[in-house]
Amino acid sequence: MDNENSNSITPETGERTSCKSEGRFSPNAIAELDEIITHYPNKKAAMLPALWIAQREYGGYLTREAIREVARLLGRPKAEVEGVATFYSMYNFKPKGKHHLEVCTCLTCGCVGAYGVVHKLEEMLGIHLGETTSDGEFTLSEVECLDWCEAGTVIQVGNKYFGHVTKDNVEMVLEQLRESDDHTSPSLADDIVKILLPKGEPKSKVE
Amino acid sequence: MPDIEWVYIKINGIALKVPKGEMIIESAKRIGVEIPFFCYHPRLSMKEGGANCRMCLVEVASRMPDGSLRKMPKPQTSCSLPAAEGMEIETDTEALNADRRGVLEFLLINHPLDCPICDRGGECPLQNNTMHYGPPTTRFIEEKRHFPKAYPLSQYVVFDRERCIHCARCTRFTRDISGDEELNFLWRGADMEVATFDHTEYNSRFSGNVIELCPVGALLSRPYRFKARPWDLQSAKSICTQCSNGCNIKLDYRLDRIHRVNARLNEDVNEEWTCDKGKFGMDYISDESRLKTPMIRRNGELSPASWEEVLYLIASELKNAEGEVAGVGGAYSSNEDIYVFQKFMRETLRSKHIDHRMGPNFQSYNSGLLKRFGCPAMGNPIAELEDMKSTLIFGSNFVDEQPILYLRVRKGWRFKRNKVVEAAPQGLISEEIRHVTQFAEVSLNYKNGTELPLAQGLLAALFEDKGRPLGEQKLLSHLSGKNVAQCASETGVDEKDIRKAAELLATDKMCIFAGEYVTHSPDATAILEVLGDIAVLTGNAGNLNVPVSRNNEQGAMELGILPDMLPGYVEEQNPGMNTEEILSACVKEDLKALWVMNTDLVKEYHNSDLANSAMDACPFVVVTALAITDTAAKANVVLPVHSVAEKWGTFTNVERRVQAFCKAFEISPDIHAEWKVFSDLSSMLGSPMTYADGKDILNEIVKSVPTFAKCGPNTLGDEGVILNPVAGGKE
Repeated sequence: MDNENSNSITPETGERTSCKSEGRFSPNAIAELDEIITHYPNKKAAMLPALWIAQREYGGYLTREAIREVARLLGRPKAEVEGVATFYSMYNFKPKGKHHLEVCTCLTCGCVGAYGVVHKLEEMLGIHLGETTSDGEFTLSEVECLDWCEAGTVIQVGNKYFGHVTKDNVEMVLEQLRESDDHTSPSLADDIVKILLPKGEPKSKVE
Repeated sequence: MPDIEWVYIKINGIALKVPKGEMIIESAKRIGVEIPFFCYHPRLSMKEGGANCRMCLVEVASRMPDGSLRKMPKPQTSCSLPAAEGMEIETDTEALNADRRGVLEFLLINHPLDCPICDRGGECPLQNNTMHYGPPTTRFIEEKRHFPKAYPLSQYVVFDRERCIHCARCTRFTRDISGDEELNFLWRGADMEVATFDHTEYNSRFSGNVIELCPVGALLSRPYRFKARPWDLQSAKSICTQCSNGCNIKLDYRLDRIHRVNARLNEDVNEEWTCDKGKFGMDYISDESRLKTPMIRRNGELSPASWEEVLYLIASELKNAEGEVAGVGGAYSSNEDIYVFQKFMRETLRSKHIDHRMGPNFQSYNSGLLKRFGCPAMGNPIAELEDMKSTLIFGSNFVDEQPILYLRVRKGWRFKRNKVVEAAPQGLISEEIRHVTQFAEVSLNYKNGTELPLAQGLLAALFEDKGRPLGEQKLLSHLSGKNVAQCASETGVDEKDIRKAAELLATDKMCIFAGEYVTHSPDATAILEVLGDIAVLTGNAGNLNVPVSRNNEQGAMELGILPDMLPGYVEEQNPGMNTEEILSACVKEDLKALWVMNTDLVKEYHNSDLANSAMDACPFVVVTALAITDTAAKANVVLPVHSVAEKWGTFTNVERRVQAFCKAFEISPDIHAEWKVFSDLSSMLGSPMTYADGKDILNEIVKSVPTFAKCGPNTLGDEGVILNPVAGGKE
């Protein structure tokens, strides 16, 4: 449970946390959202794209301010936006490492040694599944089938797939990633927003 | 009313006729067939989150076009299964029992077995359904999921997440009924939990209802937690005293202590809801501060005395003061108390100086209303509000002033497409307070104090619309020659918004609410005239509602605690003094005695300086009270009187509905009913009143006040009766 730590509010005081939105949506992001909303019957229906924009604008994960801002922009209750966001597993609520390694441990990959890869990675990075290295470079997760079974074991890092990974060659994956400047979570969010926009950018482009 | 289309169905072989489209779970109730359920609730929408508990499964066979029966291969949830012609339903088969056992086994996987210490134990649907349909054992040997127990959601509600079965009743309530949309599901699957956004406080005016809605012991009342077992409690039918809406409630008590308040069903008033003010505000009844003996001021200090002593003192003082005595208050007393009070003042003491009104600028508007609409009250019954096509809420902090009316108006918007126009002063509408603004079609946010020009603007906009018949000269004179643009600039509201609002209001089913920003305004009479014109112009004459706010304020008006009106709005030829004049007369020492009837005058009267100096200057002040209030502390004599829980009586609510409340317990034999005090004194002063109980008095009211003709103690029933219209009626 990600949110256990926020259980410390004291309702006796009746105080609510500040409701000021940080407003980190750039003018371009707002233009993108305005454009996306026109593709749906109502603002509520545009919630998932809005959350993707928020995930990008807030640096790869959704803070409560991000949720608050989405709620305000869509005119929806905050609890509803939070409920939707937590339902889906690809929205993050904690900062992820610069490179987010998602190892498939489903049936096929599992048969060809996915857990060997996982254990090797854990050993090399000094973390367990679900954790992030202390330098913030890598996050390691296991995921279900990535639909590239013939190339098992498969690791997904944002929009990149690494196939035929074994515990012996997994070091190469890490080396390749260390050279890359790509920040997985925000750039993945950006890619998804681009897919959601018909031509990759809003009609009313902000200069 | 459109004709209902009926269909014939069979449930467990019994043929019955039901409206087409009725949910089968409701049809089964008609013939007493019980279908177990958790998440179903007739007042909550089935869309988005309904039919999730899967407990109400039934087997269905549908009639095919060729007349043959085809059985659906899988059981269906009867809460979302609309009745159709020829359907045959089985609710009690071996297969269904196995299904229900399975559902319950799943629900009990994570549900802790702490029933012995659970507040819901004994009245818990999960317990009851497990008893009837559940498996006796569990096959789950893994660890149940754990959360901190009793997580406080708000001042009133604690939440035990381990017990939650995710039926979504509470989340749907916040969306469909209360409108604050504070609760929602987080996460999914086995991790799912109900929560507010970011675990902030559950901020709602109606949060107490989710405690009653919860089918398990997950949402619990904080004040009631661990206080009693439900089977140890007795229950008395009562009426909430926290505002004028008159919600029907049950007082659950043990000995002389109120433990909790639950709603009592009344389709015409509160349906089955209460607001938090009512649900958690009734504990004053058994509060430690209750006064249990009369008090007399001796050597400047209030000290206990016997009833004989105080009544003798009051009688001797009032005998000297005949004609120079006045009475204020009464808006919190029962109809019976009020009636005997005004009779005591008018007949025994020969004084016309009685008034219950505490706000500013009341003198003119309610007599104005009286002349025009028959009585200062609501023009529409509460139940009618949900069927309006448009509603104007003018100058009112509606959810605080009239919580139950707010729920009705919102219900009309949510389920029946009622369009709402809100006009509220700037500063009242804020993004964070979830009230009418959340669902208003148009919000007119006017400069403070510009109610009159705004109302005129709306009227002018309706006038300029050529499609509507132009009224007489009188209507034009109320506009004082203004046009929409002038009104818009005066009020700071966009002219387009005023026109849009006027357009929305031009329907054949429209009603108007005028709130405290109207009734407390110096222009109250003029504003109400203009709002009345809007109602007339749209063909909705009489749909102007000026709801009162205090518990039995309506009753005080109906039964003549007014200087110029006798009971039943019979005009008094030589009016007495109103509250302001009474208090001023006290200051000038023109009055010998003042009776304050169960009202904290110095707090409630809008000019507390005047009230204070009046209390100080008047030589003899009697206060009837439940506890020593600021007012009682200044009195010469304080008399302890019954609260709503200690006597039988009736209140008149905001829609003029007379409703009875029942006696629950007695706190002390030295606390008397208010009417008893007046009748005892009257007898001592030589005009005997012989009432045996409250019902006696109500019978006398029924006989002597025509508006109360239908309100006899035996005809009130559980739902109450709306008063007859005032003779001389509406325009």
